[in-house]
Amino acid sequence: MKVEVKHWHAVAQWRWDTGVSSDDTNKGDDDEGDVCGICRVPYEGCCPACKVPGDDCPLIWGECSHVFHMHCLLKWIGTAASKQQCPMDRRPWVTAERKIGGSPISTGNVTGSNGPTTITADANPPRPPPPGS
Amino acid sequence: MDARLRRVNKEIADCKNDRTSNISLELIDNSPFHLRGSFPGPEDTPYQGGHFEVDIIIPDSYPFQPVKMKFITKVYHPNVSSASGAICLDILKDAWSPVLTLKSTLISLQSLLCSPEPNDPQDAEVAKHYTTSKGSFEETARYWTHIYAGGPGAKDPKGSKSIRDEVAIAGLENAHVDQFEGLGFPRNKVIDVLRRLNYRGANVAQISEDRVVEELLKS
Repeated sequence: MKVEVKHWHAVAQWRWDTGVSSDDTNKGDDDEGDVCGICRVPYEGCCPACKVPGDDCPLIWGECSHVFHMHCLLKWIGTAASKQQCPMDRRPWVTAERKIGGSPISTGNVTGSNGPTTITADANPPRPPPPGS
Repeated sequence: MDARLRRVNKEIADCKNDRTSNISLELIDNSPFHLRGSFPGPEDTPYQGGHFEVDIIIPDSYPFQPVKMKFITKVYHPNVSSASGAICLDILKDAWSPVLTLKSTLISLQSLLCSPEPNDPQDAEVAKHYTTSKGSFEETARYWTHIYAGGPGAKDPKGSKSIRDEVAIAGLENAHVDQFEGLGFPRNKVIDVLRRLNYRGANVAQISEDRVVEELLKS
């Protein structure tokens, strides 16, 4: 039998690789697992000052492994009240270096690439992102 | 501005959906930035059985600035002003963090009721009462919970009607008040002076009657 593909739709989906297992993302909203702790908007959304999510409103990782929208975190660090501390654990904020290609950096659960993880699926239903990284 | 509204709305909704924490939030005068929070008094404390209400004001730069909270319900506690309801708690001041929420802050207030910090008092007189005679302090706190927060009836001190309340509210003994009132001083003045001097429990032996009379004559 000969099958001829007449046309196909490319489907793509992206999410920030926050080091949190993708299985956790579908639990209810009140789980707070996947929202920026400062503005409470999901990581995949953008900070309240931006209109478009993605590379223009990136995330920032601390060496303590906590993640925020970069704009939210910088706004907090810019206030005197912050004492330059991570909002989660009050340790001095140190931005973690994240290399493209993603080898784990200093602390264990910060891994992955320096940008959105992109998954494409030709004609197939979208697949979940590969486990781990 | 818009971000603040969105976050607060989300927090109010989260609080509504969460039935396990027993924390509730409602609007005062229709603004989402002026709220009334409430929670039950913690168990095994003099506040048990009471319902405590807190006035909440959300500042313009929330969550980068702490929420303003004070007790609406009168509370007898070293870190709460017995007159104004002002609260002494680090996270409402310099230990604030933008990841704290209305719910988590109210839970912190609830746990402040469990663990008074008399060395960093908001109400120095109450703190003195707490450190010198804890049993008597707890009795007064329980009495306040009963009359102001709708808590269960504490064992009522015997005495005459409305005046008796004044004495119990101040955490004093009727016998002491009667004694100085008998010398010809007005009752409310006696209550005021004895409260200021912390004329309670073991402390009574430390304060001479002359000292009390001296204070009464001064005021």
